[in-house]
Amino acid sequence: MNYKLNAIKTISKRRIFETVISPGFYVATAAGLFLGYYLLSGFLDSVDSGGLNFSLHPVYNQIVEILSGAFGITFVEKLFSEGPFVFVLFVSFIPVFLYHAINTVFKFGFEKNVGALELLMYGPSDGTCFFLSFFIKDVLFTVIYIFTLALFFYLSSVINNLVLGPMFYFSLLIIFFLAVSGYSYGILASVLSGNAATSVALFSGIVVFFVILQIGSFAITGDYVKNLTNVIMWFIKWISPFFYMDIGLSAALYGNFFLFLLSILSILIISAVLLLISHFVLKVKGVRP
Amino acid sequence: MIQTRNLTKKFGNFTAVDSLELNIRSGEIYGFLGPNGAGKTTTILMLLGILRPTSGDIYLFGEKFSSRRLDLKQKLGVVPEKHPAGMWKWMTAGEYLVLFADLYGIKKSDIRIKHLLQKVDLLEVKNKRMKDFSRGMLQKLSIVRALLPDPDILFLDEPIAGLDPIGIKQVRDFILSENREGRTVFISSHLLSEMEKICHRVAIISDGTLRAEETMDTLLSKFSREKEVQVDLEEIPDNLCSKLKELDFIIDASRQANTLVLKIPPDRDYRKDISRFLIQRELIPLRLYEKSISLEEVFTMITGQDTEKPIDSPENNIETSIDSGEKNEL
Repeated sequence: MNYKLNAIKTISKRRIFETVISPGFYVATAAGLFLGYYLLSGFLDSVDSGGLNFSLHPVYNQIVEILSGAFGITFVEKLFSEGPFVFVLFVSFIPVFLYHAINTVFKFGFEKNVGALELLMYGPSDGTCFFLSFFIKDVLFTVIYIFTLALFFYLSSVINNLVLGPMFYFSLLIIFFLAVSGYSYGILASVLSGNAATSVALFSGIVVFFVILQIGSFAITGDYVKNLTNVIMWFIKWISPFFYMDIGLSAALYGNFFLFLLSILSILIISAVLLLISHFVLKVKGVRP
Repeated sequence: MIQTRNLTKKFGNFTAVDSLELNIRSGEIYGFLGPNGAGKTTTILMLLGILRPTSGDIYLFGEKFSSRRLDLKQKLGVVPEKHPAGMWKWMTAGEYLVLFADLYGIKKSDIRIKHLLQKVDLLEVKNKRMKDFSRGMLQKLSIVRALLPDPDILFLDEPIAGLDPIGIKQVRDFILSENREGRTVFISSHLLSEMEKICHRVAIISDGTLRAEETMDTLLSKFSREKEVQVDLEEIPDNLCSKLKELDFIIDASRQANTLVLKIPPDRDYRKDISRFLIQRELIPLRLYEKSISLEEVFTMITGQDTEKPIDSPENNIETSIDSGEKNEL
């Protein structure tokens, strides 16, 4: 066990160092923060003497229209119930999440393909140590980024005299666990695939599928398609982190703390199961592409 | 040191390795030979815990080995045939070795890294990125990495493939010096002449089955049905061959220009008898050399494949000509 812990610690340290020296990490972080700043200032532009009026800002107007069409007006109301921060938080988080997730999926697939993973296996390490090191790196940078966002929005709220409500803090938690499950799906996709390209394609496919399914249950108006989507959704929703995110946000909005915790626990269980499956798949399939 | 018992690996209906029983002894240089597709790589991957056997057991230092035994893996140093790219490419040699030293939990790794890099003449490129390394440099760096934990066994897969003659000599000398210091070496290679020079014992597998596992001398003598002695003379009298054939230890005698070609039994050294016979007839041997069977020839006989021809060549058969053996001059 000591060998495993040491291997995880050593490879994680290397991954963290690689991320810190990679320009992509800074580009993704800057993009996230810029999006946050842009959307926040856009929200402030949408406020007039009569209150909040999204039509004053063309981009916001468009965003709200798309979100209402995709997720329903209730979702939009939930999102903006305490001002702009929950929405802006989600949007600013996307570039950094995608950077870490896709970077891990690509590198895992690539290194497995070229034999770098096998080389580690010659020493006191195994496939599980390898993917856990990626996972730890991603989780660590996600925590750091969430703290950065929290600080950024806190300062923005102070400067602009806006309130950071409890939904924002609940969303910070939800977003973190959502990312954790995303990284777990990424690792499973890498373990199942033979090379970097198929790993990224499979991971993207999983994410897009869950998003479409989530949007589909709100957006589709045709009865037959809607019924079909609902049937599929009923089976798939249990493994979709977005399903628990939705429950968690609703629970937070209506003050049901127990349900909120339950949704987070569910996301954690999904993540743990995905990592466990990855461990067994690697064990059976081996580390060769 | 390493033992396999009924080691078998199947991929679907195809049996890649069939009931293999290897026995690698402490302190020896063990050559693992076989044609392409014989099951060599599959066996090595099982011995290293990368592939799980379908059945059978592997014992390392008397203990049952599996991929989960990271403590036993610590005692193995592995040099793969090709150094993988990936995350290593952008590292300097020093960073790469520190990473592995940390993985092995080596304390004060700087001293050991410096010592090993010095040993293979790579100290001056310690801070150079690995993407700029030649194949030979990567191979030497790979050996240094494998030696970091001071392993009891060094596994080398095609360690000299693709190296220039100087690189081959350096790697060969390094293997021999490591073995002299007491390290057991397991080598898999296609370069049979090199294997013959350095291995104490060899195993030959073909179609996933062990065909032979012997010391080099035993293996070569087992397959020597006759030896060839060539004698250069200033002039060869017409009746000399027929006179030589009358000797009880001469199987056959013929001439090629001013060279006598004699076939003799492999049981003992007849060169003195031949010299005596010639000198009695006032014929002075200018040069006398014995050509014994080579590992390559034994390999060809065992596997039925000519090492110089494609594996599936129809010309491959057990009767392949024997003319590439090493010459031992008297």
